[in-house]
Amino acid sequence: MQIKKQTKGKALAKAKKLGQKATINLIKEKVLLGRGGAGFPTGTKWEMVYNEPEKEKYLICNADEGEPGTFKDKFILEKNPELVIEGIKIAMFAIGAKKAFIYLRGEYEYLENRLKKLIKKANIEIVVGAGAYICGDETAILESIEGKRGQARLKPPFPTVKGLYGKPTAINNVETLANVPLAIYYKDWNPNLRLYSLSGNVTKPGIYELPLGTKLCDLIKLGKPKNKIKAIYFGCFGGCMPHCEKTKLTPDDICGKDCIHGAGTIIAVDEKHSIVDVATNIAKFYEFESCGKCTPCREGTMRILALLENISLKNADMKDLNTLQELAEVIKETSFCGLGQTSTNHLLTALKYFRKEFEERIKEQKDRRRIR
Amino acid sequence: MRIRVDNKNIEVDSNKSLLLNLKDNGINIPHLCYQEGLEPEARCRICLVEINNKLVTSCNTYPKEGMEIKTKTKRVNRARKINAELLMPEHMDKCFRLNKHHDLCNIIGDLGLKEVRFNPTRKYTADLGASVIRDNNLCINCGRCVQVCAQVQATWAIDFAGRAHHEHVTPYFEHDLNDVACIKCGQCIAACPVGAIDEREHLQEVLAALKDKTKHVVVQTAPSIRASLGEEFDMPPGTLVTGKMIAALRRCGFNKVFDTNLGADMTIMEEGTEFLTRAKNNGPFPMITTCCPGWIKFMEHFYHDLIDSNNMSTCKSPHEMLGILIKTYYAKKAKISKKDIVVVSVMPCTAKKFESTRPEMKSDVDYVLTTREAAKLINHFNIDFKNLKDEEFDPALGISTGAGAVFGATGGVMEAALRTAYEVGTGKQLTKIEFDQLRGMDGIKTGTIIIKGKEIKFAVANGLANARELMKRKDDYHFIEIMACPGGCIGGGGQPLPFAWEKIHKRMAAIYKEDARLPLRKSHENPIVQKIYKEFLDKPLSKKAHKLLHTHYYKRGL
Ligand code: SF4
Ligand code: SF4
Ligand code: SF4
Ligand code: FES
Repeated sequence: MQIKKQTKGKALAKAKKLGQKATINLIKEKVLLGRGGAGFPTGTKWEMVYNEPEKEKYLICNADEGEPGTFKDKFILEKNPELVIEGIKIAMFAIGAKKAFIYLRGEYEYLENRLKKLIKKANIEIVVGAGAYICGDETAILESIEGKRGQARLKPPFPTVKGLYGKPTAINNVETLANVPLAIYYKDWNPNLRLYSLSGNVTKPGIYELPLGTKLCDLIKLGKPKNKIKAIYFGCFGGCMPHCEKTKLTPDDICGKDCIHGAGTIIAVDEKHSIVDVATNIAKFYEFESCGKCTPCREGTMRILALLENISLKNADMKDLNTLQELAEVIKETSFCGLGQTSTNHLLTALKYFRKEFEERIKEQKDRRRIR
Repeated sequence: MRIRVDNKNIEVDSNKSLLLNLKDNGINIPHLCYQEGLEPEARCRICLVEINNKLVTSCNTYPKEGMEIKTKTKRVNRARKINAELLMPEHMDKCFRLNKHHDLCNIIGDLGLKEVRFNPTRKYTADLGASVIRDNNLCINCGRCVQVCAQVQATWAIDFAGRAHHEHVTPYFEHDLNDVACIKCGQCIAACPVGAIDEREHLQEVLAALKDKTKHVVVQTAPSIRASLGEEFDMPPGTLVTGKMIAALRRCGFNKVFDTNLGADMTIMEEGTEFLTRAKNNGPFPMITTCCPGWIKFMEHFYHDLIDSNNMSTCKSPHEMLGILIKTYYAKKAKISKKDIVVVSVMPCTAKKFESTRPEMKSDVDYVLTTREAAKLINHFNIDFKNLKDEEFDPALGISTGAGAVFGATGGVMEAALRTAYEVGTGKQLTKIEFDQLRGMDGIKTGTIIIKGKEIKFAVANGLANARELMKRKDDYHFIEIMACPGGCIGGGGQPLPFAWEKIHKRMAAIYKEDARLPLRKSHENPIVQKIYKEFLDKPLSKKAHKLLHTHYYKRGL
């Protein structure tokens, strides 16, 4: 695995020799794309912060991996934390930040001591989150580190201009930062290798390192599923699609099918499971994790869950499916931040590809009541 | 800059949000969480428009060259309607008052929302404070109260807690509003678009007193009421309704209608003399006014060192002064026993409700009604307010001056005090009695005046965030006036809803019109004031005046 390689400080030394600008350019040349989900070029982000006239700057390592079914950052932090710390140091040097923060997911607190030992005297502070999913959002991280309620901020200004404490701030994900030393030090560093977190109805879940463009079914085969897989969820926010032989793991192939490739999260669902139940489960997650700031997400996620519970367990009719569809669309269109905007992708795609299952469930419940 | 809106070109100001630009051009976009003068937080997601096939909130989007905006597409309408529908079930279940002053009730009509498909789920216990009450069951989480309390009042008494649909507004650690450093200014009431925060009503008690034949019920009205009460009866903001107000209150059954402006004149006599004494003794400076109970409570919480350093004046507020004069001076003259008199104050303000319950005050004001409650009372008696003939205050305590009138606006107390302090202090007449530097909406206003060869520096602040600013450099001044509410009492938390800066500007103009219209414009020229001192109190700051018209303060925690 590429991600398990070490550079032992040599990448940092090389960066220092190159100087700030050349380091940034090198990262740009090597086309290191952000691995948090959005895929923004890392070098460009650094350049934006570097170019800000403000003297005080910050770097934040986003280790708040909260997306269900995603555990690649945890894998890296467990297996190769040295690489991440070196990446942070290089990024700090490149953008000119005197201080960096690691925003560690609350559930990963057990990693804190190990990281602290590696940080030694470097000016890197670890902030442990309180377990809110919203704090994976860049701007909510800023609020949280500043000691405020974890809610998203208005953009613009973007964090690269006015971030932590109003100062220019680069926020990079763990996998991105781990790749920084590798990209700088190894000539044969492969920018296309990605970590995939595979879970769901497979017998061998785990982290798989594969190049972009690999066939999705090849990855699933590695997971050794017991039954036939019918649907793939790209995390919760990415939405789902029917499992198909042809799909390749590329943003284009998947995004073209109104799902989001995101952070390499693959959850497989087999024939034995109902999409209605999966949808209800995911809806529960969002109903719990909405930060409460804006109407559609705060009230809408709660109504979606209620409707889904009604459909799957009680007494719904076809009209409710329309309400569900309408709500899901408006939540997606009008929510304040990414959490809300993506919170109904799973449902919209499920309703598109597996609408039958919902309709059948409604009928089933009706019949059952008639028998009673 | 020009942009296209619904296929028409319009001229816009690039520093203003789309919402405001469209409003300037006569296009009203429904909105709930945005309040003029506050930073948009874009929580409600109602003010949607369509740009480039995307829905955006217009309150926090700014125009860009060549922008194409659609405000009426099906998609826009559907999204606005659904977001409003999501807010309704909780609120609808508990709201009994379909109130035309509440933005939400107006908006659902405009959006054509006829059916709500969801059931209510909220179960909060209402926080029934002594002057401000909150019912989270009605709340739609727009955040305006939280923002006003923090940004305008710098008090931070309330904030959001909890997440997802458990998010709710609360004082810290779910305390009651009574138990935290809330100054009862009621600005959160003015901000709330749905009436989830409201005053504690005292209408029932007043109605009972009015029915009780053994009671002599007296009402007094604060300076700012005459400039705002008309709005409750659909008259344009800024209409002076002094005469109609008196006529209406008489028809409600009050035995006497007195003028708090007279109390204001008394305050000026006491406070002005207090200031002149300090000027003679070289301090302590600055002397700070105490007419505003919101500011008093704020000071007791956050700036209570001012008590020990004797910077605070000791004067009671005008309606408390008049209250005690009614129950002593007037009672004696009218030969009515004190215990048979009930004093009702109509005030712009919920803090005055709190003030009248302060233990050390042993208040002679029995009930305080806000402007809104007064309107409800008048409506209760089915009085046709608009068509009433003007009447005059009852003469016993009914003559007042322009100095008393300007108390209603920020800077007014200072202006009135300076008119009297200058003339009494120097024995000379002011050539111009309007202090233009004290008028207008600026948060902090300053100036100087020479009294007996001494340069007196004065400063005025409205809104407690501004007061905090001014307190940083308080030692530069000799005399400071502070009013808690934006614009002074004309912007008080008990004034007609909904809040709008434009209305406050118009009320202010009305106040100065009243001042200019009155034959007497300086407190010390008020014949009743002179009579009260001659017959009853001797002179300002006499022993008796001290006992009746002055008070003291407490240090409060946070
Ligand atoms: S009454 Fe004033 S201080 Fe109290 S919560 Fe409302 S705005 Fe804040
Ligand atoms: S109480 Fe009123 S102003 Fe405050 S958040 Fe609720 S609805 Fe908005
Ligand atoms: S400014 Fe007037 S209305 Fe506001 S709290 Fe003070 S006294 Fe009340
Ligand atoms: S007014 Fe714009 S989002 Fe509420």
